[in-house]
Amino acid sequence: MAMTTRERARLSLGIQAGLFVVAVAVLAVVMDWQAIATSFFDVERIGPMFPDILLVGLKNTLAYTAVGFLLGLLGGLVLALMKLSSFPVYRWLATGYIEFFRGIPAILVFLALGFGVSIAFGWNLDSLQIAGVSLGLVGAAYIAETLRAGLQAVPKGQIEAARALGMPAWRAMVSIQIPQAVRIVMPPLTNEAILLTKDSSLIFVVGLTAGAAELTKFGRDGINIYQAGLTPLVAAGVCYLLITVPLSILARRMERRTSTKK
Amino acid sequence: MAESTPAPDAAPGAAVVGEQAPAGVAISALHKAYGSNEVLKGISMTVEPGEVVCLVGASGSGKSTLLRCVNRLEEPNAGTITVADHVASDPDVDLDAMRREIGMVFQQFNLFPHLSVLENCTITPRRVLKQSQADADGEAMAQLRRVGLEELADRRPDQLSGGQQQRVAIARALTMRPRLMLFDEPTSALDPETVGDVLAIMRQLAEAGMTMIVVTHEMTFAREVADRVVFMDQGHVVEAGPAAQVIGNPQQPRTQDFLRRVLDPTHVDLDD
Repeated sequence: MAMTTRERARLSLGIQAGLFVVAVAVLAVVMDWQAIATSFFDVERIGPMFPDILLVGLKNTLAYTAVGFLLGLLGGLVLALMKLSSFPVYRWLATGYIEFFRGIPAILVFLALGFGVSIAFGWNLDSLQIAGVSLGLVGAAYIAETLRAGLQAVPKGQIEAARALGMPAWRAMVSIQIPQAVRIVMPPLTNEAILLTKDSSLIFVVGLTAGAAELTKFGRDGINIYQAGLTPLVAAGVCYLLITVPLSILARRMERRTSTKK
Repeated sequence: MAESTPAPDAAPGAAVVGEQAPAGVAISALHKAYGSNEVLKGISMTVEPGEVVCLVGASGSGKSTLLRCVNRLEEPNAGTITVADHVASDPDVDLDAMRREIGMVFQQFNLFPHLSVLENCTITPRRVLKQSQADADGEAMAQLRRVGLEELADRRPDQLSGGQQQRVAIARALTMRPRLMLFDEPTSALDPETVGDVLAIMRQLAEAGMTMIVVTHEMTFAREVADRVVFMDQGHVVEAGPAAQVIGNPQQPRTQDFLRRVLDPTHVDLDD
């Protein structure tokens, strides 16, 4: 006898739930929970990681990301305006920049700044400069596209109304176009911040002093320092989530707000 | 329609136009093309200070483009336009100074959604004319009172009906004390029941002596309020003259045909 769609869906859900329970049960029996606990979740050895994990690791991750995001925002705004320019050379330059930095792995940029710049120019950049500028260069390419889309999403009639009232072009941009674009781009910009937070870990390729260690470096070094298996890496991961999860909740909130507004 | 709706809460004879003298407009041999598509094919017309001129014609006839050339939202390809003492068609004209004297009302209202009704009316006086907040607020409230919406000053545009938004748009334009008002199909995007309120305000403005150029499909408004009606077709001025004459007794076959279609939409012309 043929089943109705609803009966079939219920049966399918039942099978899925059953498989899940079986899988959990098998894991619970088969896995060596003791070994997992000591290598990943050695709670007793977490204590000594404080306060360095926050005051050094988390602090440096936040500092590298913040500098990178600000530089990226600045560069991204310039690139977005260049892409929207009526002067073709500006558009080509911006397009070339964006394609280049979106097309190569961010780690190459870190290597280029970490080693290339000191060889080529003899400058000795510190880790904050390397990380901030590298993230800024890469972030600018992504942020430029986000900002361009946001500026273009403001209806043309808005700028026409502002210009018809007698606002100069720059005033229409500052008072009318940018404030509306900001509301549109806040959710995607928050996502950029999340990506940059994670990419700040790439600074490890240039070697960091203990004081300059960000979360990933802190976790890797911690394996030896704290003799707690991989627990420091897990702790570092939790710290990343402390940054990224609130950001993504924030992004979702803003997205919901803008979508109900319009 | 317009006469059945009382003017919303406006003091009769209020200083509608402000102390600015109304401006005249002179257009001569105006051409405009988008690529190979010629939209305006040599338009010449004048609008006297204080005159109300309605531009009518089928969509695609070039009326909106003509209107948008007056404040240079569109760049004409050839010909001259003068608005008061500004040569609008001069590439070196101070566009911003000229536009401050020309108010414009759009079909889609184009209120700034991130600003309150009051801020919509004060942002340009404050940021461009450098008025104090008190002065700008005072003028804006006076204009909002004229369009009957001062109690909505703190609302956001998206909390208003279409007709209310268009009235705010008129108030916003008036806070700049313009000498000429351009209306680009101001009632075409409105629900029918709110059209009357907007037309009533435009009628008051006309009676107060404002120079107005109105692109419209509202033939009743054109007949009753306009001093002159200009009928356009395919980029040409086909017929122009006093409203009663052009609408009531059109001479040109194309005008007659257009008016028959507009005034009697169910009419089917079997010759087509």
